[in-house]
Amino acid sequence: MQREMQGEAVVAAPRQRWNARWFWYSIICVLCWGGWALLSKLGSREIPPGTMQFLFTVGTIPVCLALLIGRRGKLEKSPRGITYGVLNGILSGVGGLALFAAYHTNGNTSLITVATALYPMITVVLAISILRERFRPIQALGLVFAAIAIVIFSL
Amino acid sequence: MHFPPWLWYSAITVLAWGVVGLLQKLSTNHISAESSLIWLVVGFLVLEPLLYPGSALFHYSGWNLTWALLSGVLNALGAWALFAALKSGGKASIVAPLTALYPLVVIMLVPFVLHESITRLQGVGVVCALIAVVLLSA
Repeated sequence: MQREMQGEAVVAAPRQRWNARWFWYSIICVLCWGGWALLSKLGSREIPPGTMQFLFTVGTIPVCLALLIGRRGKLEKSPRGITYGVLNGILSGVGGLALFAAYHTNGNTSLITVATALYPMITVVLAISILRERFRPIQALGLVFAAIAIVIFSL
Repeated sequence: MHFPPWLWYSAITVLAWGVVGLLQKLSTNHISAESSLIWLVVGFLVLEPLLYPGSALFHYSGWNLTWALLSGVLNALGAWALFAALKSGGKASIVAPLTALYPLVVIMLVPFVLHESITRLQGVGVVCALIAVVLLSA
């Protein structure tokens, strides 16, 4: 009960950043994805991108199996949740394939990299317009810094 | 008006990945972070036949194959953490740009792992990313 109340307080008062579980989960994500990107960089010195994506997907399977075993094979039977989940995977893959296709054309490679790296900005627009999410001016400023960092990192 | 093919492909990528950020939030509105990851991988697997490289797969060095497979493990763990962030009240409009800052980790590790040095511009990027983390989560 107390934990639940703490959880609600965190959502209600996002100022308490260092107590917010979503923040720390996001940091764990950044650390794991940093490792993923670094290992991808190492592997792709020899392996072409399509094969990297094939192998990477094989690598995600053990994590899923571990989670499935942890849940004793029980998954929620929410058709909408499942549809969104599967679509996430398909669209991520399609986005990746379109990126390989873009690199195969004689377009400007760095322009392609910068433009596609800015995908979170599309998420922001969609979340504001469809999910009616709102954020504070200081967070909007954070978004500008994030966009600058993303552009620099992709150069 | 004529758009070059690379622009079309890049638009597909940026739109697909942008929509994914929204769908991630929607999926955690209905199911747990763990289930969201499992169904995400099911979606990945749908495309596997298109990507299967055939016997070429067995010609790469063991180390590079290991890095590629381990990258998948880390990506899945990261995706689980992302779903957990959204499930525990994180907004898609904050979590998506925040987690997209992962190249920060790469740039900070590259001098140690690949023995490459960081350019001044990348240093500016690191500072911008750190400011973004603080402001986005404010």
